[in-house]
Amino acid sequence: MSDAIAYATIRELGARYRTRELSPVEVTRDLLARIDKLDPMLHAFVTLTADRALADARAAEEALRRGDARPLLGVPIGHKDIYLTEGIRTTGGSALLADWVPDQESTCGRRWQEAGTVLLGKLITHEFAMGLQFPGHRFPPARNPWNVAHIPGGSSSGSGAALAAGLVHGATGSDTGGSIRGPASFCGIVGLKPTYGRSSRAGVLTLSWTLDHTGPMARTVEDCALLLQPLAGHDPLDPASSRAPVDDYAAFLGRDVRGVRIGVVRNYFFEGVDPEIERAFEEAMATLRRLGADVRDVTIPSLAATHSFLLILLAEAYAYHERDLRAHPELYGDVLRERFLAGALVTAAEYVQAQRIRSQICDETAAVLVGVDVLATPTTPKPATPFAQALDPDFGFPRSNMPPFNITGSPTLALPCGFSSSGLPISLQLAGRPFEEGTVLRVGHAYEQATPWHTRRPPV
Amino acid sequence: MDKPLELTPEELRERIRAAGVTIPDHRLGMVRKLLSDALAHVRALDSRTIKTVEPAVRFEAGHE
Repeated sequence: MSDAIAYATIRELGARYRTRELSPVEVTRDLLARIDKLDPMLHAFVTLTADRALADARAAEEALRRGDARPLLGVPIGHKDIYLTEGIRTTGGSALLADWVPDQESTCGRRWQEAGTVLLGKLITHEFAMGLQFPGHRFPPARNPWNVAHIPGGSSSGSGAALAAGLVHGATGSDTGGSIRGPASFCGIVGLKPTYGRSSRAGVLTLSWTLDHTGPMARTVEDCALLLQPLAGHDPLDPASSRAPVDDYAAFLGRDVRGVRIGVVRNYFFEGVDPEIERAFEEAMATLRRLGADVRDVTIPSLAATHSFLLILLAEAYAYHERDLRAHPELYGDVLRERFLAGALVTAAEYVQAQRIRSQICDETAAVLVGVDVLATPTTPKPATPFAQALDPDFGFPRSNMPPFNITGSPTLALPCGFSSSGLPISLQLAGRPFEEGTVLRVGHAYEQATPWHTRRPPV
Repeated sequence: MDKPLELTPEELRERIRAAGVTIPDHRLGMVRKLLSDALAHVRALDSRTIKTVEPAVRFEAGHE
């Protein structure tokens, strides 16, 4: 398979399907062969669904013959393995669920299926969307296609690795403290954490009810917009699902950014940032200024208390896992088990105080977003972490630039904005007002089209 | 007396006992650091300085 097809955008793929230059069956067969060749090194897939993929591809081919013009028709995708798939095992990256075959489908999975996508398989996730697989685990961790000695980020690790390696054209991710944006940053791809309530969590394993978000991952901003479209919209199966109107996201792309006000959050996000990342970020702001955006500095003082969000995450994760942790502790990965158990040690008062701090951060962020349209920060303060460091149990949860927008529920996009001297991707984070995914995508797309970063390929 | 900002080893052991969970000795340091870091701002908080607000994301999610 040529790299040109493996890395084609969704729009390009659709155009070539419609001129009969390519067929979904042919592309699916070629991708299955590419997965066969590259995945033994990358471990992005935990379950390959070749028969299902070919059946989906044949159905897409039939639909194309009938003149069906749906934009995701025949687009090969994978699901993070915390998305339940009816009749297909869903492991959560865990030994506990290693052989579990659900009898229901996630809402996101169903919506992409109805949009005509081709399911290539399930993509490895950090165990229960939280714990990197340590040596001896039932499943090996995914590796970063840019340098296999580095992690691809997590927890949507397989999604990030598979997209960067050209194994899928779109993937689902989930994001509780940065699990869509982290892999997007480390793998040089694009990830969108939509507004809390925009994309359904029904049929997706829980990590933390009040922080969990589902969303798309892809290689370009436009692909992310196209993949978001069917995911967005009310779902009665998710109690947090919103009835806010759904925009036509692709319609925001290609609009210029003249006059768009971009606030660079100067506190919190630049503490401990690598100089190379800071430089790439400032160059990205200069590019947006040249494109006509009004880039200015802002501050959100309460973000200093961001790390207290971990009390919420740990307490909620423990509430979800308590029964299994007590009944089958041996089936939880080493280190992750103790991290989940730490949630049992958070007092009710501390949980409430952390939620009150959260409210303060939400208030201050909303106030800043009156004066600007989008917030900009580096996505991660450092490039992809080496496995040698990530596998140190004490590495834990370093301060991160991503949780602030899980706290606030804001729509947030991560996209490439450069490379380190060691050849690892660097990422820009853009956050907007609730339900203004379109504005975030518009700014990200304008930046992307003015820069070459999304066209670089890893050495796989 | 105010609590120290850092979770002490004794307090960690008390919490483990109260919660009725088992954490092996070689992981106590990791758990203590995890909780200490997360608790730092909550412990430094003067609860009366935060106005009373509903502790939740407050836009229209979940509502008609």
